[in-house]
Amino acid sequence: MKVSRRIATTLFAGAALMAGSFMALPSQQALAAEQVDDKLYMVIAGRQPVSHLDPALKYDLAVRMMQQQLYDALVKYEGNPSEIKPWLAESWTTSEDGLTWTFTLAKNAKFHDGSPVNADAVIYSFKRTMAINEGPAWMLEGFVEADNIKALDEHTVEFKLNKPYAAFLSFLPWWYVLNPDVVEANTKDGDMGKGYLLENAAGSGPYTLERFEQGTAYVLKRNDDYWKGFPYDNDRMGGVIYRLMRESAAQRAALLKGEADIVTGLSVEERQAVEKREEIQTTSLPALTSFGLKMNTTKGITADVNIRKALAYAYDYDSFLQIMNGEAKLQTSPFTDAVKGMVPVGSMPTRDIEKAKEYLAKTDHPDGGFEIDYVYVEGFELERQMGLSMIDAFKDINVTVNMIPQTWPNMVALGSKPDTSPDLLAIFTTPVSTDPDAIAIQYHPSSHGKYYASHFLDDPDLNKMIEDARAETDWEKRVPIYAEIQQKIVDLQPEIFGMMRNRGMAHRTWVKGYEDSPIRMGGEIDFYPVHLDPNS
Amino acid sequence: MGRLIARRLVFMIFMLVGLMAIVFAISNIAPGDPARLAAGPDATNEMVEKIRQERGLDKPIVTRFVVYLGNLTQGNFGVSLHTKRDVASDLARYFPATLELVLYAIGFAVLVGVPLGMLGAVFQNKWPDHWIRFVAVSGVALPMFWLGLMLQWYLSLELDLFPLGGRLGIMTPRPETITGLLTVDSLLTGDIRAFREAVWHLVLPSLALSLPALASIIRVNRAEMLETLNKDYILNARAQGIGAFRIVTAYALKNAILPTLAMIGLRFGWMLGGTVLVESVFDFPGVGLYATKAAVSSDFDPIVAVTLVLGACFMVVNLIIDLLYALLDPRVRSQI
Repeated sequence: MKVSRRIATTLFAGAALMAGSFMALPSQQALAAEQVDDKLYMVIAGRQPVSHLDPALKYDLAVRMMQQQLYDALVKYEGNPSEIKPWLAESWTTSEDGLTWTFTLAKNAKFHDGSPVNADAVIYSFKRTMAINEGPAWMLEGFVEADNIKALDEHTVEFKLNKPYAAFLSFLPWWYVLNPDVVEANTKDGDMGKGYLLENAAGSGPYTLERFEQGTAYVLKRNDDYWKGFPYDNDRMGGVIYRLMRESAAQRAALLKGEADIVTGLSVEERQAVEKREEIQTTSLPALTSFGLKMNTTKGITADVNIRKALAYAYDYDSFLQIMNGEAKLQTSPFTDAVKGMVPVGSMPTRDIEKAKEYLAKTDHPDGGFEIDYVYVEGFELERQMGLSMIDAFKDINVTVNMIPQTWPNMVALGSKPDTSPDLLAIFTTPVSTDPDAIAIQYHPSSHGKYYASHFLDDPDLNKMIEDARAETDWEKRVPIYAEIQQKIVDLQPEIFGMMRNRGMAHRTWVKGYEDSPIRMGGEIDFYPVHLDPNS
Repeated sequence: MGRLIARRLVFMIFMLVGLMAIVFAISNIAPGDPARLAAGPDATNEMVEKIRQERGLDKPIVTRFVVYLGNLTQGNFGVSLHTKRDVASDLARYFPATLELVLYAIGFAVLVGVPLGMLGAVFQNKWPDHWIRFVAVSGVALPMFWLGLMLQWYLSLELDLFPLGGRLGIMTPRPETITGLLTVDSLLTGDIRAFREAVWHLVLPSLALSLPALASIIRVNRAEMLETLNKDYILNARAQGIGAFRIVTAYALKNAILPTLAMIGLRFGWMLGGTVLVESVFDFPGVGLYATKAAVSSDFDPIVAVTLVLGACFMVVNLIIDLLYALLDPRVRSQI
């Protein structure tokens, strides 16, 4: 059909108009950071949303990261290796029996509203967390009763423990101190301020909350009057924006473009690609996190320790390093390197098919010929590749692997009961403390039900050693017990001990003062020492 | 007409209850332990049980469904285990973002797709038609996720024309929330800067989201136009000397647009449910990301609520499409 040119002209004009209107929009300006009144706001791009800010509720890396800036605790983890430093408490003493801990508070510590951080505030905060009984409450459960925390004077707090607990101090960095007046003023229907504290803060930390825009960005303003001061001298540092950027490719783009100063979620390949650029600096550090394949020690074929040993000797450990592009280190003990008291265990299995067959010969399946289920997170490429390498490795001892991808909620549910816990469960575990008890307790029946204890190990000798070690307060006496515990765990082989995955981060070179600490989770940054110096 | 609307609205209520029952059953029967996930990795068994009891997760599914229905009649969508907030307030926060994105995307798809479909038919098998068909095939074939990343890489990173993501510049003051749609709120409050920025942030995500819909609209509209343009009444119109422009836009389009309308209704529904990929690439804080997060943490209340809201939207849009049908087609009108 012939048609007048008018139609074509009109329609193309419309399209041109639309394109033109896009071009007329403001053009993007590349900035080192967001600037507000000459102050610089550092932009950190990360993947994990901050679900809430309440120190008494469930924590994850993003929640912990924000709380660390808004609140202070009696002590704080800093440095590499992670060490406990005095914070709100400038000193402390322990009684000889290890039951009484007395903390002396810094006298100049003050909340964001200017009111002093005193013993009552500390007690109020501990009691609140214990009463809510979520989040960090498990750390002190059974060891400290709320009524046994007392104020000796305005600046002295005393904790009386029910029984000695060596790891006590190592958990205190996660017990943040809240301003009781602010919490009480915002309590509704006896909720202990839970509603208010989801998106508001009542702390004394180095940053204050400027904006909480769920799902997009969280803006913190530097608390210029921070009672402890800052470890750097840079008045232009105005604050930090934690901006959500879920895709690794987008994070990389933002970093290169200068839209983000620090990015925390780059894949290994992306990180290795950007580290060649002059304006970018990257870090890579083996974390406290371990990756292991937990075996059910109570049900199924892996209930036999010789089968577990055979599998551990047949496993191809180099595949961990290959899959991680070399950004990992193999475990030499059930304890990861950053854990205090870690000693390499000589008898840690490495790939040795002859040994694997020797162990297999002691079982009801001397020639193999059985199947095992490997359950891993659906869609998690890393764990899928491990499964594939396992299929190859276990062929050498005539064992067939069934790869079963599951959603994380299903894995947690399966691993919580001995009857449903699979033969092999792929698990990353990050302890919240560098005290060896934090790892040892994972192999104690009190951890059964938690995803990292899906092995359901219950060995009376080991249990006693773990209990003795946590009750001993003299570190010198604990060291040999933990050496024995590590050896014992390896002997029992409740899992195929895997690797410590490096966690990496990339930042522009104008970011100064960044310090990685193994206790932090992958993607978790302590903003306190970090600042921007665009002139550098 | 009034009776039709009333009848359809009553049907909608039944359909929503049915939808809710199905989603409630599926999400609750699926394996998983939401209480344990909500309590955190190190929580003791007692802490897990406390949450299980508080949330009524220890009750039989039928009891929970009845309680949920009861709460719903009072406008209570439950509480998210993950965000710890009322699901209703979470929805009020995330849904407008998605709705705005989808409205812009569908608007773009219609405004560009319908004329291109017409052009394709008018220039059948000539070079404009070839190009238009190329766009249509690409639109269907290109994965939305990949397209989003490419747009982001080229238009944002290389040419620096658009922001990488988000709804507004981070430090841009937010307009007062009236509807939750940033472009509307900024206009209502007279905040032109926020309006420009909001539109600027919407361009890439809505472009990525609209392409599959755009392609379908082009194909359907082109095919319908081709058929219509060969009808006798068009020949008659031409014989009467009516201008070609008028024939195409007034005579042919009115008939050819009906199947396109149905396609728009369907696409709108798919878009609402399918924004998650685009939201993820452009970090657009919408209901898709919220629902995904809920799904991976077995957080039932938000899953059911999101499904209900999206289901209701889908039904409303289709009702509107049906009414438009009646408006445009006297044969349909006479049947109601």
